[in-house]
Amino acid sequence: MPDVVLQARGLAKAFASPAGPLPVLTDVSLEIFAGESVSIRGSSGSGKTTLLQQLGGLDQPDSGEVRILAPGAGLVAPRSSLGRGVGFVFQNYQLMPELTALENVALAARIAGAPSESATADARSLLTQVGLGARLEHLPTKLSGGECQRVAIARALVNRPSVILADEPTGNLDERTGAEIMDLLLGVVAERGAALILVTHSREFAERAHRRFVLSGGVLTPA
Amino acid sequence: MPWFLHLALRQLFPPGKRFPAFATVSILGVGLGVASLLIVQTVMNGFGEEHRLRIRESFGDCQVTGPAPIERPEALAKQLAASPEVSSASPYAEGPALARNGDFSGIAQVRGIDPSDPAQPARKYVYGGSFDELDDGRIILGVGLARALRVRIGDRIEIWSPAMAERAEKGKAPLPAEFEVCAVIQTGFTEVDNAAALIPLRRFREIWNLGPRAHGLTLRLKQPALAEATAGRLAVGHPELRFRPWQDIKKDFLAAIRFEKTMLFFLMFIITLVASFSIGSTLFSAVIRRSREVGVLASLGAARWQVVALFGLQGLLIGALGTLLGFVLTWTILAFRDGILGTINRLFGGGDMVANIYQFSKVPLHYDATDFVIAAAFTLLTTAIAGLVPALWAAGRKPSEAMRDA
Repeated sequence: MPDVVLQARGLAKAFASPAGPLPVLTDVSLEIFAGESVSIRGSSGSGKTTLLQQLGGLDQPDSGEVRILAPGAGLVAPRSSLGRGVGFVFQNYQLMPELTALENVALAARIAGAPSESATADARSLLTQVGLGARLEHLPTKLSGGECQRVAIARALVNRPSVILADEPTGNLDERTGAEIMDLLLGVVAERGAALILVTHSREFAERAHRRFVLSGGVLTPA
Repeated sequence: MPWFLHLALRQLFPPGKRFPAFATVSILGVGLGVASLLIVQTVMNGFGEEHRLRIRESFGDCQVTGPAPIERPEALAKQLAASPEVSSASPYAEGPALARNGDFSGIAQVRGIDPSDPAQPARKYVYGGSFDELDDGRIILGVGLARALRVRIGDRIEIWSPAMAERAEKGKAPLPAEFEVCAVIQTGFTEVDNAAALIPLRRFREIWNLGPRAHGLTLRLKQPALAEATAGRLAVGHPELRFRPWQDIKKDFLAAIRFEKTMLFFLMFIITLVASFSIGSTLFSAVIRRSREVGVLASLGAARWQVVALFGLQGLLIGALGTLLGFVLTWTILAFRDGILGTINRLFGGGDMVANIYQFSKVPLHYDATDFVIAAAFTLLTTAIAGLVPALWAAGRKPSEAMRDA
């Protein structure tokens, strides 16, 4: 039985609105194992991004708890494992515009505490692995959307996290590039033994995950 | 280099942009503020120093006078010069007279001095001729007075003293004293240059009927800055005499200069403060624009203090570079100050106010390291605060909110 790398129990989240609290997540529980990929689909506004933020520690749930496997520390609260236990891939890439591709990836390693030389070496190796060996010194403005997303994937993986949370990683890409990115993401995540939680609108991409869920009415149900 | 410092430098100076708008405008704003502050302070210091020097050289470090002319001034000078705090002591006498060269005349402030005194300040200001040629038949004139009388070195002038009026009252012919001009002095202090006439004390006594007496003694001290305390010690045992240190001779004037400098510092500091606030406001806009990046940094595991350092350092870097630019601007503008002032005078027809009103031949300067340290400290402090406020705001936000609001 593979190790549990992410555990969420009874997650609930509501946002304030003029008409009173607006529940987005009511009771979400989830368990993810090492090397596993999970897809979450749902209509716009169903709370997919909110769920991902609770799972990754970017926001606190109103109730319930999340635990993530951090290297050498066991299952811990996601906030304390940011950058090490969990890696994010966003729809809009979210690269630092003033840093080169190499620096963007190395930055994640530097923040996690890696020395400059090893951070750069790891970043170079990962960027080569995602096919950007010739674009190391390019700024994000000089890269295509697909190339930016490859940089973002390398950045998410550089600290060898146990879970990758990908929020619509192909949302801004054309069909062919999107398919390439999905191939790369699934391949490289599996190769590194990490788990993947993929939030997507695309049924086709969702079908490629080991397990599939739909988020609707604040509840996660198997597809 | 810590990652946040590297990122702060990159955000301020993005690659491929020679003059990034935010950094350039902010640094220039701080630089101009610092330069305004320091230029005003340095020129005010210059005016203050120049006035203090003129006061000391005109009146001595300490002036000794009595209710009447001093009866045995040479003996008193010898006694005071024996004090370890006194460099030299020399009697003087002074009074107004009419100076005349044919059809040209002017009011001269004649001063009788000891020509053999090597510490005579007039020696430093000889513009033409020789101080050492001063004797009973020769006179040294201020350059302005020499021009008014249309005389050159070697020309002869007449001096009409008030004592000659007494001769006329007694029915005697009021004959003027004749002198050959042996030197011209230019102190740069217009009031002195337009009236000064120096003759030997012995000759002054003859013309003014002073006998062996003198109007006072001029003391040069080993430590002029301590003149007030020294004057107090020297006065002991001389109750009939008044010992006035140079600080006391023009006390109100010196106090006015100090007050003016303090007020100008305050006003100029406000300029730096305004520049710092504009940095704070621009940095706030930058932080809001970078909200998503703040969220991303949090998602990468950046601690709050590191986000504070990232934006706080940008304020501090702008402050440091602006201060440096301010120093360079100060030095450059002050190096060309007379040319700049001349251009302004030509453009606006203000005339040479420095010479006419402030009585200096050029804009005086005095660089004081303390002013530079204070300006740098204030600027760094205010720009650091200006950077810190938006930095704290950014670091205090939830990553999810930061990413959603951008």
